[in-house]
Amino acid sequence: MKFSKRELFKAAGAAALLPLFPKAGFAGDWAALEAQAKGQTVYFNAWAGSEPINTYIAWVAEQVKARYGVTLEHVKIADAAEVVRRVRDEVKAGKAEGSADLVWINGENFRAMKAEKLLFGPFADELPNFKYVDTEGKPTTLVDFAEATDGLESPWGMAQFTFFGDGSKISEPPRSMDELVVFAKSNPGRVTYPAPPDFHGTTFVKQALYESITDRSFLRLPAKDDEFPRLAAPFFDLLDSLHPHLWRAGQQFPQSQAQLKQMLADGELLMALTFNPNEPANLVASGEMPASTVAWQHRAGTIGNTHFVAIPINSKAAAGAQVVANFLLSPEAQGRKAELKIWGDPTVLATAKLSADEARFFGTSVVPGSVTDPAPALPEPHGSWVPLLETAWLESYGT
Amino acid sequence: MRAWLNSFAAFLPLGVLWLGPLLAGLLAVLYGALDGEAWLTLFEHPQLWPALALSLGTGTLSLIISAVLAFWIVAGLYGGKLWADSSSLMGGFLSLPHLAFALGLGFLITPSGFIARVIGSIAGWPVPPQWVTTQDPYGLSLITVLVLKEVPFLIWLIGAQLARPDVSQMLKGHFRVSQSLGHGGASVWLRVFIPQIVPRLKWPLLIVWFYGASVVDVALAIGPTQPPPLSVIIWSDLNNADPAFNARGTAGALFLTAALIGLALVWMVLKKIFLPSIWKFFTRGPSRRRTPTITSGLLLLFFCAVYAMVFAVLCVMSIGTLWPYPNLFPTEVRWTAWQQFVMSPAPLLNSLSLAFASTLAALGLAVFWLETVPEKLDAALLVFAIVAIALPSLLVADGQYLAFLRLGLNGTWVGVFLAHLTQVFAYVFIVLKGPYRAFDPRYRAVSLGLNADPLRFWSTVKLGMMKPALAAAAAVGVGVSIAQYVPTQLIASGRLTTLPVEAVTLASGGSRPLMAVFALMLAVVPAIAFLVAARFGRKPL
Amino acid sequence: MTLLLENISLTIGDVLLVKSFTITIEAGEIVTLMGPSGSGKSSLLAYIAGDLSPPMYGNGHVTLDGVDLIYVPAERRQVGRLFQDDLLFPHLTVGENLLFGVGRGSLKKRQHLVAEALASAQLDGLENRMPESLSNGQRSRVALFRALMAKPQAMLLDEPFSKLDAELRHTIRNYVFAHLRERNIPTLLVTHDREDAPAGGRIFRINNKGELLLA
Repeated sequence: MKFSKRELFKAAGAAALLPLFPKAGFAGDWAALEAQAKGQTVYFNAWAGSEPINTYIAWVAEQVKARYGVTLEHVKIADAAEVVRRVRDEVKAGKAEGSADLVWINGENFRAMKAEKLLFGPFADELPNFKYVDTEGKPTTLVDFAEATDGLESPWGMAQFTFFGDGSKISEPPRSMDELVVFAKSNPGRVTYPAPPDFHGTTFVKQALYESITDRSFLRLPAKDDEFPRLAAPFFDLLDSLHPHLWRAGQQFPQSQAQLKQMLADGELLMALTFNPNEPANLVASGEMPASTVAWQHRAGTIGNTHFVAIPINSKAAAGAQVVANFLLSPEAQGRKAELKIWGDPTVLATAKLSADEARFFGTSVVPGSVTDPAPALPEPHGSWVPLLETAWLESYGT
Repeated sequence: MRAWLNSFAAFLPLGVLWLGPLLAGLLAVLYGALDGEAWLTLFEHPQLWPALALSLGTGTLSLIISAVLAFWIVAGLYGGKLWADSSSLMGGFLSLPHLAFALGLGFLITPSGFIARVIGSIAGWPVPPQWVTTQDPYGLSLITVLVLKEVPFLIWLIGAQLARPDVSQMLKGHFRVSQSLGHGGASVWLRVFIPQIVPRLKWPLLIVWFYGASVVDVALAIGPTQPPPLSVIIWSDLNNADPAFNARGTAGALFLTAALIGLALVWMVLKKIFLPSIWKFFTRGPSRRRTPTITSGLLLLFFCAVYAMVFAVLCVMSIGTLWPYPNLFPTEVRWTAWQQFVMSPAPLLNSLSLAFASTLAALGLAVFWLETVPEKLDAALLVFAIVAIALPSLLVADGQYLAFLRLGLNGTWVGVFLAHLTQVFAYVFIVLKGPYRAFDPRYRAVSLGLNADPLRFWSTVKLGMMKPALAAAAAVGVGVSIAQYVPTQLIASGRLTTLPVEAVTLASGGSRPLMAVFALMLAVVPAIAFLVAARFGRKPL
Repeated sequence: MTLLLENISLTIGDVLLVKSFTITIEAGEIVTLMGPSGSGKSSLLAYIAGDLSPPMYGNGHVTLDGVDLIYVPAERRQVGRLFQDDLLFPHLTVGENLLFGVGRGSLKKRQHLVAEALASAQLDGLENRMPESLSNGQRSRVALFRALMAKPQAMLLDEPFSKLDAELRHTIRNYVFAHLRERNIPTLLVTHDREDAPAGGRIFRINNKGELLLA
């Protein structure tokens, strides 16, 4: 299950040394892995709340079956936390065969699995296609919520917190939290966000923290209980000034981003938010949002991260899972994934560095609903900030 | 001696397939409750008490309102021309699962929903009003959905009671006597009939009560959010990645159950003390008030209208991708949702196979027990059956998940089958027991006297006479199995998916057309089962 | 067709409910049995029919036309029974009820039998009706003919007239007796009502000591 070269790799330390990894010996091992993978069935536990994503995964399944003889089963889940829980229970119960071989994951779920040693690997850096990953330009491919991936998860796509709404109803989208407060004041009851601990709600709250905290460097460090009230004071001031103008005067919040989208589509709200900057364009293409939809990010930057795939430690098809993970990193798969008409999920690859042949999979299209003026991606705060934020939010606004 | 051997033989498959998994679940959950930490963190949850109040409040209010409306409608319509049709109509209503109903009704009543648009187009509202309808903080929309679903169920049950010859005989007698004493019809219902019928319905009423207070999927769709009902908090804890949260969820489930049982006990005590005097106050002297035929008729019409609208809305939702305010019809119509559904038939096939298997097994086990075990032991089985149904599924399913983990049953069809059987058998047995035990044993003597051997008697006479009851039990079994969300989601562990699991999973992505397709499919299967049952039995039960 | 009841007794647990007795019922004879409630009259009939179940136990030989029925299962004894309630099968039509005890045969033959029976019972044309749509009197007649069409060699009547009102009772009673005598079927009638006993027929009573004595 583990390559002997792992020791050498660990000694090398920094991920930047990866491209120096000798390919000759590696290629030999990889062929053996592919042979082992042939005929295996890989249960890919991935969020299934979006048809474009499900369709893309179905395409991946076709490809890996045809090319490598691996059967990929898309296990549709509503939340990656389910998988963490299942794997943990299975390992605790000593179950021989796990229910998941590959899981779409990031953030706190990854941190939990890594800390509890529920992950197979490291394997990511040894995937042949890992060489294409833009580890320099996209540092979040190696550091997930301020937690080093250590090769235990392989990058899959990029995400960035984005807002969107109907351009015909919004003349000037608010491009910062302060502007948002003003916007909400002039459009009372037409703006809101999902309640934490929903993933999107927590991100909105983190964004608010980012824009209100006096010294951002604190966010890279673990949060401290005693310092939190002081550091978060401006954050609470911001939310206190915002909430009275929100939907239902901030007394109730939608439970999910899906609901938020629906309310926007129905005209009850003026704007919604998403983690996939290309989702608004997707929605226009599938007819769920009007063609006048616009998407924007806060001028000074919005939180961005990478999402990954990882292999649970009790998987019986780890070889097949690695083959799939590798395929997911291929220019062909990444390019297709980035296409707005298919999924529109931004790539983790360094497209500028690809050869012409490899780059042909990537198109540049500007379609209704795409972000016209992208902003920089802010790195996620350290994971320990999240429980503090969520609890504080629940206490102040949740009752 | 033979009787005991028979009982043991009947007990064995029942024990392995039903009682075993049920007890395993309960034990596992109690074991999980020994975690002191979990209880501490539970009581530290800032939303615990408001959430509990919401759960208990919505459950109790919905029960009271449903019961009042159900009796009102029955009192007004019983014996009249509409009555016979209403009973089978109820079957139709019952087949629309709670979740599907909530999704459809939700779209009708949200501030940007259909009703608002109709009013808005007349009143000229350019933007949706700022109503607080779905997810309102007091849970009124949740109560509305629960009431709209429970009333037909209660009417069906009351109708079943009334169909019993001894009961209808008594009612006719009471009517005659009371009328001669100057009482109007309503008075007879209030003073004589309801006090006699309600005790017979005490278990179904309890089940309705506990269900309303602990339901998860409906609360997610349309219940309050900050704070949500306790069931939602527990569910999110159980699904959390952090084991400390999972343990808190288990503690929460026990806490909610204990609170409900406590409340039930309080009610029993209060009832004994206060009810006689309150009742006397309400029923002083004869009242000339007639049975509320007109209002019942209107109420029934209202229910029919709501159900029809919800169904219609779901149909339109399934093809309307873009449907913004204030349009009364979608601006974009696509059949993609249906195409997607047809291309992945797995959820439908799994739901069907589980429903058929669990219903057949339940019927087999129930008939086997009823044929071989003397009636006096029924009570013991009934206790377990009621426990299986009344306890929140959050509790039982969580326990079964933990127990099945050891047995390697998680993620298997068999595991999910067993989890479904836990609920299905309980309902099937409860529905079948009455009619089966009421079967006149002299028919057997008559048949034997007519040269028919015991096998011919059983297949031609007994089964033939039991057909309506069997069909009704089967329809209920299918309906229960199809709607199972919490147990399926936990125990299938993602390896297989059914209609409700898929619906909720997709709901997290918000594709309204696809959600509507699943909601409609969720209704179709039980609807067919109920129609078949209605054909088999001209009289309900 | 003689029905011989030889040394019949009934026990419940250790208690002897009905003491041993012997009666012979000739062809076409209707013997009446009376006694207080709970004295075991219905159970006696059940024993004769072969259908007695615990906690009651019976002893003694039941011989029909020289054949000892002790090892013959109830469904093959050709002993018909009528009860207080007509117990027509509610899910079958009148015609199907009538044909229930009739063996296999061509459709034409069966239809003919039904028509014949209905004609005798003055119930022509009712073969496709459901029992619940018939009057009490009509149902009693259908029940009788249903039993007769199974060609019983003995008949056991367990208070079959007690639920009929006075006038109907008289009519149906005579009707039933006439048909049974016509077919020479030995009959044992259990009743509460002295009036039910056919004139001139033997009447037995069970006293409170469980003895069966000729009245």
